[in-house]
Formats: sequence, structure tokens, C-alpha cells
Amino acid sequence: MKIAYSHLVQHIEENPSIEHLSDNLFQLGHEHEIEDGIFDMEFTPNRGDCLSINGLLRDLAVFYSVNLNQEIHNQKLNELLIDFENLSNDVCPQISFLKIEIDKVPAAYKSSLDNYFSDLALNKNNFFTDISNYLSYETGQPTHCYDAKKISGKLVFHEIERETEFETLLDKKITLMHKDAVFSINNEVINLAGVIGGKRTACSSDTKTVIVECAFFQPEAIIGKSLKYDLHSEASHKFERGVDPDCHDRVLRRFIKIVSEHANIKDMSIISYTYKDRPVNKIPVNVNKVNQILGINISEDDYLMHISRLGFDINKGVIEVPSFRSDVKTQNDLSEEVARVIGYDNIPRAMIDIPKNEKPNNKDIENKLRFFLLDNGFYEVINSPFVGSNSDKSIKVDNPLDSNREYLRTNITNSLLDNLVFNERRQKDSIKLFEISDIYTSKNNEIKKIRRLSIIASGRVGHNHEDFSKKINKKYLTKIFYEALPSEKFDFQLLARDTLNTKSKNEIIGCEVDMDSFSSEVLNYKETSKSPDNFNQYTTISDLPYSKRDLSFSIKDFTKCKSLQDCIFNYEDDLLKEVFIFDYFYNEKNSEIKIGFRFIFQSTNITITETQVSNVMNSIINETQKIKSISIPGLNLL
Amino acid sequence: MSVHKDILPPELIKDRGSLHPINHMKDSIMNLLASFGFEITDGPEIETEKFNFDMLNIKKSHPARQMHDTFYVENKLNLLRTHTSPVQIRGMLEKKPPLAFISGGKVYRKDDDATHLPMFHQVEGIYLDENVNFAQLKDLIYKIIYSLFGEDVKLRFRPSYFPFTEPSAEVDILSKEGKWLEILGCGLVNPIVLDNCNINSSKYSGLAFGLGIERIAMLKHGVTDIREFYKSNLDFLRQFK
Repeated sequence: MKIAYSHLVQHIEENPSIEHLSDNLFQLGHEHEIEDGIFDMEFTPNRGDCLSINGLLRDLAVFYSVNLNQEIHNQKLNELLIDFENLSNDVCPQISFLKIEIDKVPAAYKSSLDNYFSDLALNKNNFFTDISNYLSYETGQPTHCYDAKKISGKLVFHEIERETEFETLLDKKITLMHKDAVFSINNEVINLAGVIGGKRTACSSDTKTVIVECAFFQPEAIIGKSLKYDLHSEASHKFERGVDPDCHDRVLRRFIKIVSEHANIKDMSIISYTYKDRPVNKIPVNVNKVNQILGINISEDDYLMHISRLGFDINKGVIEVPSFRSDVKTQNDLSEEVARVIGYDNIPRAMIDIPKNEKPNNKDIENKLRFFLLDNGFYEVINSPFVGSNSDKSIKVDNPLDSNREYLRTNITNSLLDNLVFNERRQKDSIKLFEISDIYTSKNNEIKKIRRLSIIASGRVGHNHEDFSKKINKKYLTKIFYEALPSEKFDFQLLARDTLNTKSKNEIIGCEVDMDSFSSEVLNYKETSKSPDNFNQYTTISDLPYSKRDLSFSIKDFTKCKSLQDCIFNYEDDLLKEVFIFDYFYNEKNSEIKIGFRFIFQSTNITITETQVSNVMNSIINETQKIKSISIPGLNLL
Repeated sequence: MSVHKDILPPELIKDRGSLHPINHMKDSIMNLLASFGFEITDGPEIETEKFNFDMLNIKKSHPARQMHDTFYVENKLNLLRTHTSPVQIRGMLEKKPPLAFISGGKVYRKDDDATHLPMFHQVEGIYLDENVNFAQLKDLIYKIIYSLFGEDVKLRFRPSYFPFTEPSAEVDILSKEGKWLEILGCGLVNPIVLDNCNINSSKYSGLAFGLGIERIAMLKHGVTDIREFYKSNLDFLRQFK
């Protein structure tokens, strides 16, 4: 909600700066941003009472001398004769109507009203609707204006029993649903209660006689309506959070006052209906409890002073909660009020000492397995459980995001296959992934949870010179898993590539195992990988194509092997993403060592060209040629 | 075969994998909290409205319960938990105070954009005993934040609103760029919630807190797009060894 600094400060005696006001609003828990003298407020859902100038001023009164006495019409009013019936007084326990007739619609507004529109860059509608909108901003109470000439017949408030067509005053046609609370005349809906009025009875620039409806609707009856019908409605935002049920008379008298400042009133009358008395919420004064809850030591005098400045009445040891603070019911609620006034940051810390817990972590086996997999080059992934296809055990999401995410997955492996394809398309030639997750299935309305580990691998065994030419297959995986965890069963299978949209021909090996099937023998595994000590800073990854180059060196003076590696591994260039030795061969007969290096090039922002890669490669070659007795076979042919 | 004394084959660098950065962050926080005395507990991701909302004082009319915010399954019989708080309810029903436990895991909300995902991770904790107060909650939160971000970090407590805590607070830290960033929500357990769990609220009080793992992981690792965590891109994952 946008509130102008100038509209607030004119009611504050101390005339605080915008920064001072901002600091105090934050302390009170009212988050906001400031732009061009306008507070863009974000209130917590329990503080519907703050959705207005007056509401915010009531809270700020704890810090400043605030004047909330806007002028109202305070003379006796005639009783309005209106044919009205409330068939749902649980939903609407209080409602008032005001009828006003003016002689002439004003051509311009006084600055007090006009500034509201200009300062907040709002469009005007018509005289009465503009006052209604302004009053909602000033008091927090939405009102609705009907053109009195368009109201003939009995006005009925009720919840509809069947689907009903309704055209809003913004020309939008919607179909109202069962139980929506509405106002009707002659079975025609003229107002979706608490949300938006209807086109047929809307005021226009010619309207001279208006019926103003001022109601309290139970928030539960309004919540979700504007979203359901895609209607932007400030009124519903307020009704959903709760308005002050006891403000009607004052709000309607303020309405009259503003009208009277702009036009001659020919006639006016008012009527109020209260179907249920609202009991005043009373909480015993108990400063010890407040001190106990907050861990502070405030005196009772200070406590009561803070509470009374927030609008609470204190009467014979009892705190009476004002009608606009429906969120305050308990000592904990009052403690929060005190904490806001003191400032959460001003409450001192008190040492906490939680007794040590001796229970073992039930995830020890799972963690061992994770580190075993890390030791063997597997990367842990996390996938969304939502999938588009189902099995007979699938759990269906009633309200999915889309048809591709309509069910919960019944296995992890399919997610890992998607991950594999994703990485193969990014030219990855050695892919080893695992995921541990709960899987949920349903049979005969009984939901079953199984924690599972899924493993998948494809491509090269690794990138070092011993593993580079070996391909992952079932035998390889079975062997390394058996050697490390002989007591555990990993039933590796060759997974089909048929349905995967990928060019790779590498075998895909995988298995999916229930976590319950692992024995405590797993705990004997001695991992070499560790959890990272630090949280590495992430470098933006590139989705642009790679380019790779291989260089093979012949070394006759074996003492130069190390120099060559240092030279290449220490070479730095923005385009050079990765270097590794993929081949190493000692030829005893020729007394020669051959080392093959692979260079991977990629840019984060451009598609690299052959020329760019060649330039870097030439520079690397030049550096290596400075090392004696090292040659690159076939270099002269390049 | 004779081996030349100068032959030193290149070091065999074994490819190692990495933990997922979200799980690593979650484990780090859980281990930290366990070192403070919290017991680690677990709960189901498919929950009932009773445990996910009713017992936590989240009224039937609360917007979070609407179909546009919560994923319901099996013809609205159950739902995907929207927070890890139901684990606290289950824990309070099972155990008697004093108690201190944490739970971490996946939670689901019906969001899908650059800053929100339908699945994300939380860690929540609860501590119940006699005379647990807000000043102690502050001490615990300071310890958590200092452990995560260092003792030089500036933090502030703001009043907030959660139906299951009263008073409630949100905690921000000041970034290097001078912006306040929301890190966690916390508060004193609402006595209504204790009563719902058959715990004598006139004798016991408690504190509770919850952290969004993705948010902290993004800050710690400098990841700016939450979606990167879930693409399973090896170029991304290999950075977190």
C-alpha cells in the first residue's frame, strides 16, 4: 500500500523527517520502501488495521504526538428508510447505509481531497466514488457507493446458491460461485460483497444522490475472492485482513463532512444494523508475564504507558483491546506490542544453554554412502519430484503447476536419465550422478514412503591418463562397488537409451536401491572425500559451445616431465577452461615418454572462434618449446 | 623391467564428485545446531491439513491454505508440506518437554519463477522448557548467524507475523553492498500451538526458528539464480567440491 509521507506528517506535531519516520516504522514492524516521498508499505497479514493513514498514525502515536481528529459531521441525522434484508448476518454482522443528495456535482476538489489523487498519481472516477476511495485511504474502512436512482426494490445481502452472472463496474463479466456473498435487488446481483460493485448501480459523473454502504464482513467470507475472479480490489485486501467493526458511524459522518466541503447537501439520512454484539476483548494486566516472555524487566508504569499510547484502554487491572486490534488476544500478543515499542534490537540477549543431545544421527549410513560415491567421482543431484507421466502407484497432484508436473515420481532413475541427457548435450563425456530422496506411492488410498538411492553412470571412467580410455560398464561399476562395500547389493543394470533424445552411444549403467536395504557394514567404509570446509564462490557457468585441442609431447630427458606439467598447468587464459593429462606412455625401448594433454576452451559470453583457440594453443606451444629435449611430434606439419 | 630413476609419472588425479550445495548447506546448518544440543528428527513430505495448518494455528481462512499456494494431493486428502513445522508438531506430540530438536528437508509451495521454486529446503528448530524467553531466542539466533556469516556481520530483528509464534521476528543481515537481507524467521512458540499439542502452556514456553536453505546457499556461494541449483549441470556441481 502506498502512503504519502506528507499525508502522515501533517498529523504529527513533531514534524519528523522522512528518515526518522522510516526508522520508527521499521521498528514497529512495518516494512517499506521509499520513493519520491511515498512509502510503499508491506504490512504483515495480522495488521489490517494499519492499512490507512489513521491506522499507521495510531501505531506511530507511541513515538509522536499524533492528531487523529479529522473533522466529521456531528449533527443529528435522520433515519434512512431503506428496504434492506440481511440473510447472512454471520458473514455481515454489522452494516450501515447513508443516503446523500447534493444540488450539483463539484467541478473541482479542495486541496485536501485533490492532493490524495495528485500525490499518489491516482485517477479520479466520479465525485462520490472519489470520496469513498479517499476515505478508505484515510480511515481504512472501504465503503461502496450506489447511484440511488438505480436502486429500486428490496436490497438483499445473501450468499448465492447457484452460479450467477455478474458484471463489475469495471465492465468485467464473471460467473459467481456457490456461497459467494453478494448484494442483490430483484434477484439480480449488484455487488460482490467486499470485493467490487456492479456496473448497473455504479455511480457516474452525473450522480447527485448516493447510497453509501459501510459494512463489516467476516474476513473468511472475502479471502481469495479477488484472486479467484482476477479482480484487483483494495477493498477486498482490507476486508480480508479485517477492518474495524465499530467505525461505521464515524466514517459515514466523515463522508458527509467531505461532501459538504464540496457541495450543498439537500438531504441526508443514515441507518445502522448490528446483528451481533461484539464483546470487548479483555486481558488482565500482568507485567511479570510480559517480562517473563520477553526476558526483560520493564516497570508496570512503563508497560501501561506504552500500551495506552497504542490505543489500549486500561481499566481496573484489565487491558481492553480496541476494536481495530482484532489480532491481540493473549499476553504473548501484548508482549509483542511491548517488544515493538522497545525495539526488538534493544532487547538484550540472555545466554541460552540447551542440554547436550546424545542421540546418534540416524543418517550415518546414508552419509557414508554419499562419501563413498564422492570418492568414486559421483556428483549428488536434487531433482523435482513432479513428473508428467504416471504409474498405477503414482500420487496425483490435485492442482499441478502444469500437465508436465501432474504426478509425484515413483522412481529417481528417470530424473537422473534426464540429468544425463542434459549433460551429454553439453559435451560431458564422463557422467556419474546419484540422488537420495524419499519416494511416495499410493495404493488403495494408503500412502507409502520409501527412501531410495539411485545411481547412474555413463561415458569415460575418468579424465586421468589411466581412466581416460576406459568406458563405464556394468562390470566396472559392480567391481568398484563390491570391492568397497562387499556386503551390500547394488544390482547395476544396463539402461536403455531408446527413448532418450541423444546422440551418445555410451552405455548407461544404473541402479536404484531402498535405503533400508543397507547394513551397518557400510559404516566400516573409510572415505577419503570430505565435506568442503569453505563455501566456494560460484563462477557463472557458460552454456556456449566448448572447443577442445589435444597436444602430445615426446620427452627424452625424463627430468623435464615435471617442468612440462608445471608449464602447462600454470598457463592462464580466460578462454582456457580446463587442462588434464589424458595419455601417458613410457617407451622403454626408445627411451621416451609421451604425454598427451587435453585443453578445453569455453567463454562465458562469446562463442569462441578457431582463431582464438589457435592463438592460445600457439602461445602454449611456444612456452613449452623453451624446455629443452621436449618435442611435439608432427609440429612442423601444423 | 628396469625403471629409469628419473621417470616420475604424472600424478593420478582421481575424479571426485561433490555433495549438492543445498544438501551441503543443509548438513552444515544441521550439524551446527546439533552441536548446540538439538536432536535431529525427520517427518513426511506428504502431510495432512491437521499437521501442516490446523495444529499450527493457521486458520481455515488463511491464504496459504488456498489451492494457489499449497499443492494438494489425492483429492485434497493430503498435501505437500509447505514448511517443516509439522515435524515439530509430531515431535511435540511424541515427546515431553524439555525438548530441543531440528528437522530439515524439502518443502513445497505453488510458486515458479526466477526467485521462487515449487520445491525448496528448510531447516527448522524448536526448544521447549520452562521460562524460555525472547532474550534467549535472540542469543541463539546470534550464535547461528555468527557461525554462518562470521562475527563481524551486522544483524537486525524485525517484528513479523507467523500464526505459530508470538512474538514473531524476521532477522536480516547487512550485505557488503549495504542492503539488509532477510535470513530467517523466528519467535516464541504460540501458546495456542502448545495447547494443541497437549503441552501445558502455563508451565512451558518455547522458541522456534526456520531458515530457507536456498537463500543462505545463494548468499554464501554467490549464486544469483535459484534455478541453477536444480539443473544438475556438472559444470555447476563441480564448483562445490
